Amino acid sequence: MAVSDSTLSEGAGGGLSLRQRRILTHAGIFLTLIALWEIGSRAGWLDPLFYPRPSNILRSFWLIYVQNGNVWYHLYATMILVFAGFAAGSILGVGLGALVGFNPLVRRFIKPYVIVLEATPRIAVAPLLIAALGFGAPSKVAIIMLVCFFAPFINTLSGVVNVDEDRLELFRSLGASKWQTLRKLVLPDAVPVIMAGERLALTAALSGALVAEFIQRNEGIGSLILVYTRNLNMASAFACIFTLTILGFLIFRGMEWVDHHVAFWKHEPGLERVGRRRRRKMKEALDE
Amino acid sequence: MNMQAAEARVGSDEIVVSGRNVGKTFAGGSVVALEGANFEIPKGSFISLVGPSGCGKSTLLRLISGLIEPSSGDVTVHGTKVTGPRQDIGMMFQKATLLDWRTAIENVLLPTEMTRKVTKADQKHASDLLKLVGLKDFRFAFPSQLSGGMQQRVALARLLQTGADLLLLDEPFGALDEFTRERLNVELMRIVGEVGATTIFVTHNIAEAIYLADHVYVMTPRPGRIASVVDVPFERPRPLSLQTSLEFNQLVAQVREILGEDH
Ligand SMILES: Nc1ncnc2c1ncn2[C@@H]1O[C@H](COP(=O)(O)OP(=O)(O)OP(=O)(O)O)[C@@H](O)[C@H]1O
Ligand SMILES: [Mg+2]
Repeated sequence: MAVSDSTLSEGAGGGLSLRQRRILTHAGIFLTLIALWEIGSRAGWLDPLFYPRPSNILRSFWLIYVQNGNVWYHLYATMILVFAGFAAGSILGVGLGALVGFNPLVRRFIKPYVIVLEATPRIAVAPLLIAALGFGAPSKVAIIMLVCFFAPFINTLSGVVNVDEDRLELFRSLGASKWQTLRKLVLPDAVPVIMAGERLALTAALSGALVAEFIQRNEGIGSLILVYTRNLNMASAFACIFTLTILGFLIFRGMEWVDHHVAFWKHEPGLERVGRRRRRKMKEALDE
Repeated sequence: MNMQAAEARVGSDEIVVSGRNVGKTFAGGSVVALEGANFEIPKGSFISLVGPSGCGKSTLLRLISGLIEPSSGDVTVHGTKVTGPRQDIGMMFQKATLLDWRTAIENVLLPTEMTRKVTKADQKHASDLLKLVGLKDFRFAFPSQLSGGMQQRVALARLLQTGADLLLLDEPFGALDEFTRERLNVELMRIVGEVGATTIFVTHNIAEAIYLADHVYVMTPRPGRIASVVDVPFERPRPLSLQTSLEFNQLVAQVREILGEDH
């Protein structure tokens, strides 16, 4: 039975590769689920008010993207907000993390505050930020900074502190200056762990942006979702949510791509490529 | 007769490293890592430091390299007192300590980057050194693509790139398997012979110490000190089969006796 299994399925697959068959299976399951949802909604098993039909959601996509085209403005606003907040928060996080990491004295004094900051849900401070900065872009960016500052900060700090003692000794024996040790050893060594922090930060930035928009309600996908829900236009609200799903996925993939390039030595497949490029760069000197 | 051959190779009377009553204590004086070490090492010679764990081999090497300061006495290299790491002293450790984000040749160039901007000539030199240690085809490989033995070869090339003529090696092949270690030992002997460097090599393998060295410094613990210096008379190049000869094994027995119960 087990022996003949592979030949059997090969015959049944009609010459499709394993990968193709897998994709087909996934697509089949997905379409079945959607169909069940549609049927359930039409048959009245699901309250159409809260669970709009897939066909309606699809129509909403058409509406907000093409017919009215009103989503673009908000999508743009949200993305600008996410990236501005993320950039500000992670620059601050990496900078402070490095600063604290290099300073044993500062490190000791700052530790209790780090613990307090870690234990406090940072989003709770959002209303205070609005009170201080008023409604508008600055307070929104500040909220995102607040939620995405921490991971890069902590990761940079630990990356900088946990430098291999043997390598430090090597640099000492080579007579390296503090600055050389920092630039050629400590920082590059910390890159992979800093990148891991940045990935967390960017995901947090998206959530932070939504919270900021929920509170301020003037623009952005977050405020659009609020408007649609208030008007009981659930299909359009879902279309917005799925838009965020896609955005989140693209952000995740984008960060993965960046990570594979700046921390290439942690990812086997990239090594060959980088090695070839470096060989080309040095070729002239070696006249080969 | 063999004695004369060894003498002829060492030849020069110029002293590269000397120590006068060198001592080192740790933990506020409660741990005596090294006590009253006196030594004079002639130019171009190969010295092995052998002894059981904790007898102060690494401590002595680190003192000579300037990584740590002696608690008493002082170390002189090329006529000037050692007060910190120097360009004319190179050090290699048990771990390869390569930088993972640099190719082999970029790792070899690291010491040069500390002193000046890297030139094409430097790159050519680094490339030649990698050929010398047998890594011609791996010059642009990253450390994670190299075996442990190959990584140590890169570290050796990096050591040579420093241009130092005093090489300090602290159990450089200690973490490798027997076969790789033996091969690298033979190559190390050839290479330092070619570049004419003065070499101090730490090991706790007695046969290895004798096979490589012109003089074996035998160290004993508690407190760490140089118990005796055994001269090795065999001429070079030395075949691996030397290690099965009677004279060789008599030297092994002699070192063993100095080490006493400890080894
Ligand atoms: N930084 C230090 N602080 C305190 N004690 C130290 C330090 N470095 C070395 N020692 C002590 O000094 C003694 C000699 O150490 P050393 O590392 O020189 O020995 P070793 O001969 O190299 O041993 P091994 O063969 O295990 O490498 C040991 O007792 C060790 O515990
Ligand atoms: Mg040691």
